[in-house]
Amino acid sequence: MTDLTAWLEGTALATWVRESASLWAYPTVLTLHTVGLGIVVGASAVVDLRLLGYGRKLRIGALAPLFPLMAWAFALNALTGLLLYIADATIKTGQWVFWLKLALIFAALWVTFATRRIVLDNPDSRPEDVIPPNGTMLAFASLVLWTAAIIAGRFMAYIGVP
Amino acid sequence: MNVRRFTLYALSVTLAAAALATVPVIAHHSSAPFYDATKKAEAQGPVTKLLLRNPHSFLYFESEVNGKKVEWQVELGPAASLTRTGWTTDTLKPGTIIKVSGQPSRAEGSFGMCCAKVTRPDGSPIQPGGRVMEEVQPPR
Repeated sequence: MTDLTAWLEGTALATWVRESASLWAYPTVLTLHTVGLGIVVGASAVVDLRLLGYGRKLRIGALAPLFPLMAWAFALNALTGLLLYIADATIKTGQWVFWLKLALIFAALWVTFATRRIVLDNPDSRPEDVIPPNGTMLAFASLVLWTAAIIAGRFMAYIGVP
Repeated sequence: MNVRRFTLYALSVTLAAAALATVPVIAHHSSAPFYDATKKAEAQGPVTKLLLRNPHSFLYFESEVNGKKVEWQVELGPAASLTRTGWTTDTLKPGTIIKVSGQPSRAEGSFGMCCAKVTRPDGSPIQPGGRVMEEVQPPR
């Protein structure tokens, strides 16, 4: 495993992110990672809060266009996250809080797919919005999981660093 | 929430954010979990290596503590900003004697420092015309 992570760190791309003096290297990658995070978690929070009863005047189906936006922002974060990971692959691979962050993201994604199903099941053709009984629980879980993923990500700077 | 109350709310959030933003950039995240700001560490010796990297650079040097040779690890700013002040990997070549004072690491038995003032042994700046981080400058 250390061989693989050491190789990743040694690649030209990883070295550029980690050691370049350019503002386009680490500072830009990290900034884009934050912007993407804001869009993914922000848009998903809008859906979650609507399912929890905020903004009842808004039809649930009207939120459907947020999901492709979330997908693009998530792709941006998968890419920038990969760059940040390879820049310090050995340290990050050894951090339990990194694996916790990944697990939280996968759980949050799974819950987000479930809330997407609820939104898509409420098109304008339906006379009235219907939230299934587990809707509240899913929305709440989504808010908690995404927030926990952010906290785990931020704590990677503090826990298990040499 | 009516428009006026919303505006008031938005304004106070903006002001709070602005207040936070005036905290010095160097403190963009807290060093307190790792380093003790109430204590001061000082040492002098030859540089062993300088790692200019993001998000934090590291400077290593040797000195004697209680008759034993130890290697200090000094946490510095990111390569992307140190380079802007004129530092390069050649700025502190191995063997260069430096004087360092800063906040000691909290970890028992370790020799780490952050938020350090790094100078030549006579107290002059590392870079010609460079800045020395101390309120009281040594007499010239």
